Amino acid sequence: MIRISEIQESFRIAFEGLQANKLRSFLTTLGVVIGITFVILMGWFLNGLDAALESTVNLLGTDVMYIDKWSWSGGQNWRKTMQRKNITYQQAMEFCNSVKTAEVSLPEAHKWGTTVKERDRTITGISVIGVPYSYSQLPAGTVLYGRFFSQFEDEYSTNVTVLGYGVAKALFPEGDAIGRTIKIGGRTFEIIGVIIKRGTMMMDFVDNQVIIPISTFFGVYGMTGRSISIAVKAGSAEKLDETRAEATGLMRSIRNVPPGQEEDFSINETQTFKEQVETLRLATWGIGIGLTLLSFIVGIIGIMNIMFVSVTERTKEIGIRKSLGAKSSSILTQFLVESASLCLVGALIAFTFCSVVIAIAVRLVPEADFLTPYVPPQLILIAAIVSIIVGILAGIVPAMRASALDPVEALRYES
Amino acid sequence: MSTPLIHIEHIARTYEMGGETVHALRDVSLDIHSNEYVALMGPSGSGKSTLMNILGCLDTPSLGVYTFKGLDVNEMTDDDLAEIRNKEIGFVFQTFNLLPRATALKNIELPLIYSGISSQIRKERAIKALEDVGLGDRMLHRPNELSGGQRQRVAIARALVTEPSIILADEPTGNLDTKTGIEIMKLFQDLWSKGNTVILVTHEEDIARHARRIIRIRDGKVESDTINPNPVTSFEIP
Repeated sequence: MIRISEIQESFRIAFEGLQANKLRSFLTTLGVVIGITFVILMGWFLNGLDAALESTVNLLGTDVMYIDKWSWSGGQNWRKTMQRKNITYQQAMEFCNSVKTAEVSLPEAHKWGTTVKERDRTITGISVIGVPYSYSQLPAGTVLYGRFFSQFEDEYSTNVTVLGYGVAKALFPEGDAIGRTIKIGGRTFEIIGVIIKRGTMMMDFVDNQVIIPISTFFGVYGMTGRSISIAVKAGSAEKLDETRAEATGLMRSIRNVPPGQEEDFSINETQTFKEQVETLRLATWGIGIGLTLLSFIVGIIGIMNIMFVSVTERTKEIGIRKSLGAKSSSILTQFLVESASLCLVGALIAFTFCSVVIAIAVRLVPEADFLTPYVPPQLILIAAIVSIIVGILAGIVPAMRASALDPVEALRYES
Repeated sequence: MSTPLIHIEHIARTYEMGGETVHALRDVSLDIHSNEYVALMGPSGSGKSTLMNILGCLDTPSLGVYTFKGLDVNEMTDDDLAEIRNKEIGFVFQTFNLLPRATALKNIELPLIYSGISSQIRKERAIKALEDVGLGDRMLHRPNELSGGQRQRVAIARALVTEPSIILADEPTGNLDTKTGIEIMKLFQDLWSKGNTVILVTHEEDIARHARRIIRIRDGKVESDTINPNPVTSFEIP
């Protein structure tokens, strides 16, 4: 049994030793400092990535699926997908009128890579989306300011538009978009609303769009030669399976897919995004963990080495302590605490360093707003635990050697 | 007579050194009772240091019986031996063996740390022990800020702080000048007269003459074991 008084003594000795050998301690912990730095920076980045993904997915709606000619995951055979027939507006409407398990379902027409103009300002690479008024019931249709268009405006093909956050910010940095006009596809539209910010640095395309009534869209861009997407909101994440099953069956029947044959459409879910980002995550972890392990191995060897030196230097001290009644376990604890403290100091240095790096990085790249400007608290805990484990791994062999010293031999030792 | 504090019977201790067996102790038997003042004498290489290590439970005999307060030391585990050293034995070494980075007070607290005594009581007892050896004003000094005599007093205070059954002093005046040596011997005399058991290990006749019983060791055996007819009782400094 190890007593509290002995553990306190061990900490006292450890910090006394650290103070006495400041430079040596610092150099020894470099490997651990680098390792913990990797852990913190990697964790910080992935943390931000997760938060960004989570918020984007939430804004798209975790219970929303898109029936499309294309698959988001892009896993399928490109040629085969190309050969699929377009989903026509009629098919989309038939679907929307028949589906029973969906809370909301509506057609969406897309025109990619268009240009919008506001007097002498032009921005390119904007997607124009034509949707019915009910789009405002989807998370993607939440208005930041202004309003969404009404059923009346929808039915009468009015030239009104709701801007994506990115477009509004680019054209009207002052925030005075409402009531102004812009040109889309050569026609003048009145701006009546702006959608909330949905994307993050990785997925800002969702903010670079303008939304117009679908009837107006067909008037501008025509109805033929394009595939319509169908947005389906299940109502809750639990209902997804049920809605997906109904949607699949209904769509097969609308598109006359014979039983046993593969579907000629895709059902895309926000989950797909997560799966794609998962690959990036795993790659980051893989590289990060590889580098971290490498630096920890270097760190462990360095600390083990210095602990062996420390044991030799203090052979006499170990003898004295044993003659005064220190058990082997007390000596073992003393040296383990010392090497763990050494690593903990390394973690502290790494933490300070990372805090500075993170503060600078966030200031230099303001677009990376998904990253926290500080070290996330749970990472501090992880870094502390990892450093203590590394310390114990590095210290166990020297500590065992110290604790096994014969008291008579140790007392006789003269340095 | 009461049970002896220390009872050893035909103990021997051999070492393997460079493939050769060294007989440090061949056959030693003796009893030491509570409140004795014993000097273990012998030239270097006689085996007296080995005997002291065994008596102090730092080492165990290769052969023979050692009972401490009626307990068989040969049966004890390393942890049991550590506990005996902690609670029953107070070591005083020739080279003081203080921890250089710790203050006098911290050095004295050390054995109490290993018996798990709370820091408050530890401090109180260490202060008391330091005052008992006349160094109440040197509590926060480190060993290198103390004279040889003061260091040995700190070491004695450390040996006494656990109230052990035996004070085991190995050449306690060996590194001190004559005057300081006499002062230290006076301290041992006081401890003995207060009821402590003192075992001195020395090769100096002058030092051994303070003890009430003198055991001479030679070639790993007891050469003689006699009562000292004229123990030194005056501590006049020449």
